Amino acid sequence: MFRKTTGTPRPEIQRPDENFEPYEEHSGIPMPVLWIAIALGLWGGLVLLDTREATSVAQEERVDQVVDEQVTAHDDGRAVFAAKCATCHQPDGLGVRGAVPPLVGSAFVAHGPQIVAQILLRGIDGPIAVAGQTYDGHMPSFASALSDMEIAQVASFVTRKWGGAEGALPEAEVTPLREAAAGRQSWQGGAELATIIAGLPAQPAAGSRTVGQVPQAVSELVFAGRGEVWACASCHGDLGQGAETTPRLAGLPAAYIVKQLQDFRQGHRISESMAIVAAGLAPEEMAGLGAYYAALRVPSTATATLGADLARGEALALQGDWSLKVPACFSCHGPSGFGLAPVFPALAAQHAAYTASQLNAWAGGQRKNATLDLMTHISTALSPQDRRAVADYMALLPPVPARTDPQAARNMEQDNGTQP
Amino acid sequence: MAPNPEDRAPVEPAKPRTGHRARRVIFTLGGGLALAAAGTLAFDSALLPGWITGSEQTASLEADAESPFFQPPPEALIPDDDFGAAVRRGRAIFTNTSTNAGQHVGNGLSCSNCHLDAGREPNSAPMWAAWVAYPKYRSKNKQINTMEDRVMGCFSYSMNAQDSVSGGPPPHGDDIYRDLESYFYWMASGAPTNTAMAGGGFGKIDKPALPYDPARGEAVFTANCAVCHGADGLGRKDLNARYLYPPLWGADSYNWGAGMHQINNAAAFIKHNMPYSKPGTLSDQDAWDVAAYVNSHERPKDPRQTGTLEEARLKYHDGDQSYYGVELDGVMIGTGTPRPAAPVGN
Repeated sequence: MFRKTTGTPRPEIQRPDENFEPYEEHSGIPMPVLWIAIALGLWGGLVLLDTREATSVAQEERVDQVVDEQVTAHDDGRAVFAAKCATCHQPDGLGVRGAVPPLVGSAFVAHGPQIVAQILLRGIDGPIAVAGQTYDGHMPSFASALSDMEIAQVASFVTRKWGGAEGALPEAEVTPLREAAAGRQSWQGGAELATIIAGLPAQPAAGSRTVGQVPQAVSELVFAGRGEVWACASCHGDLGQGAETTPRLAGLPAAYIVKQLQDFRQGHRISESMAIVAAGLAPEEMAGLGAYYAALRVPSTATATLGADLARGEALALQGDWSLKVPACFSCHGPSGFGLAPVFPALAAQHAAYTASQLNAWAGGQRKNATLDLMTHISTALSPQDRRAVADYMALLPPVPARTDPQAARNMEQDNGTQP
Repeated sequence: MAPNPEDRAPVEPAKPRTGHRARRVIFTLGGGLALAAAGTLAFDSALLPGWITGSEQTASLEADAESPFFQPPPEALIPDDDFGAAVRRGRAIFTNTSTNAGQHVGNGLSCSNCHLDAGREPNSAPMWAAWVAYPKYRSKNKQINTMEDRVMGCFSYSMNAQDSVSGGPPPHGDDIYRDLESYFYWMASGAPTNTAMAGGGFGKIDKPALPYDPARGEAVFTANCAVCHGADGLGRKDLNARYLYPPLWGADSYNWGAGMHQINNAAAFIKHNMPYSKPGTLSDQDAWDVAAYVNSHERPKDPRQTGTLEEARLKYHDGDQSYYGVELDGVMIGTGTPRPAAPVGN
C-alpha cells in the first residue's frame, strides 16, 4: 500500500504483468460478524414465528367473536332480557315471590308475543293475578327504552322460552302496536289486560286511579316562576324530563328533591342557578314541588350520549365490582334503578351527562351531600370510563313506573320524614 | 543493517490504525445490535429474571392491590353444559332464595344477604372457602357435617324454614342441595381442599374495649344502618313490595338458632362488610355494640327449643355471645315472634 521513498538500493521490484487487475484476496468472514449475522437471523426468524402465532391466535379469537355475534344476533332477545328484565323477573323467569310475577307458567305470556309486546310498550300499574297469585304490579313502560326491533326480539324470546308459544313477532308488527300505545297510560293491572286477552283466570279489580290535584301555587312555580325563582320547567322541561346536565326530575322521590333543594340553599350542594332558586323557596313550596315531581310519569328522553362501554355499565349496575368495594348500583337504588325513597334517587332514564357529572363531582369533592357519604367512595373507586359507562347504561333504562296505589306509595316512602 | 528511523516511521502510520478502528466500530455496533436483539428476544419470551425487567415487583404489587384472597372464576366462565346449568340454578337459589327454594324459606331473606357478592366476597363467609372445609365436625350438632348437612342448617335457622310452606328445610338428597353445591364447587375451582382459606368466614374481630352495649349500639344503628335497613330495622321494600334491604329482626328475619344471632358473628360481619361500599369504617367497639343492638330484638324462635327457654339456653346457647334466654330491660329475650297465621310464601 505504500512505498519506501528513500534512495537506498532498491530491491528488485516484481512488477505485475501490466494486464494485472488488482484484486482483493479472499479472506474468511471474521467470526464476530458471523455471530452477529447468525444472531440477527435467529432473532428475525423467531420474531416471525412469534408473530405468526399471534396472528393465528388473533384469527381464532376473531372466529370465536363472529360465532358469538351470530349466536347473539339470533338470540338477541336473551341479551335484552338479561339487561332489562332479569333484575325483576330473574334470569330464570321465576320472578320474586310476593313481589314480581313469574313469566314461567304465566297465562299472559302464553298468549303470545303480541300481548307481551303490548305490556312492554305500556307497562302495568295495578293488581294482576299470575299463576294463582296476586301481585301488586308496577312495571315500567319500555316504549322509550327499547326499539321496535328489541321489543320484537324480547317478546319473542319470552314467549318462546316460557310461554310455550312458537312463532316470532316481526319487527314490523311492533310499529302499529307502538302507535296504538302512544300517549296511553299503563295497563291498569290484570283487569284491563283481560279486555284484550280472552280466557284469563279471574283478575282482581283495578283500584280507582287517584290522581291528586296539583295545587295552584305549585303549578305556578313550575310553569311561571316568581321573580328570582324562575320556572322549574324553563330548565327541567315541561314534564320534568330534563336534558343533558339538567337532571330529569320526574319520578324522583319527593323527600329526595326536598333535601337537594335545602342542600342547594345551604351550600352543601353547589349550583349557582339552583342556589338562587332554592333560596327563594319556602319549605312548604319545596315539599309541594317534591310531591309534584315524584308523581310525574313521563317517557324517557335520555339516551346513551357518552359513547361508553355499556357492558361494563350493565355489570356495575347489576353486580357491582367488589374488587373495588363497589356494590351493585341496583342494590341500593332498587332493581332497575327505580330508587328507594327518601334517600336513594331513581337512576333509571336519567340523562347520562347528568349522572356522569354528579359521579365526577363526588369523586372530585365538589358534591358532598350524600347520606353517610356513601357516594364519595363509590365515585372515587370508579374510573372516569366506569362513571361514563354506568351513566350511559342508566340513561337507557325505562323510567320509574307509576305508583298510584297507596300501598306501593307506602312501600316507597315508609320512613319518609324519619331520615335526614 | 541498522534500521533507519526514517524508514521505520511510516511502518505504523495513521491509515492502518484507521482500518482497525473501522473494524472495531463495525464489530462494536454489530455486537451491540446482536446483544440488543438477544435481549429483546429474552425479554419477549420472559426469560429474564424479574429483578432486571421490574415486572416481578409490579406483578406482586398488582396482586397485593387486587386481593390477597382466593379469586373464584368469573361468572362468565360458568360452562354451557349440564353442570353449568346446575351452577346457574344454584346461583339463582343463592341470590333469590325465597323464589327458587320458596317451599323452605320462612322469612324475607336470601343466602346472598349475608354472603355478599353472591357468595364470592372474602370475610363475608364466601362459599369458595366453605366448600373446601367440609365434611367437618361441628359442635352445633356434635356430628360430622357434610356440606348438605350444613346447608340444611342454614335453611333451618337463617331462612327460618319452620315458618315456610313445607315447615322445614329441604329433605336430604333434594335437588336444591345438588344445585347449591354445584355452585359452591364451581366457585371453589382451583382452591386447595381441606385447608382454612384466607378470607373464609366473617373474619376475626377483636373484643371491644368496653363490654358490648345495645344502648350505645342503637346510636350507631341510627347513624349508620337505619338509612338502608329502615329506622325500625325491619328492612326496606321497593315499590313492588320486594325486599331490597333485609330485615334485621322481627318475624321476617333469621331465627334464634342462626349463627348471625350470636353477637360475635354479627359484629365480625358488620365490621368487615357494612355499610355497603364502606366496609371497615365502624370501630370494633361500634361493630360489637350495634351487633348487640340488632340481636337484642325479638326474632322467630329457635326451632330446637322443645322444653322451656331456659333448658334450650343451657343446651344450645350456654356460653354463646347472645341474648337468648336473657332478660333485658325487664323483657325475656328469645321467646320468638308470633308465628304467621299463614306460612310465608306458597
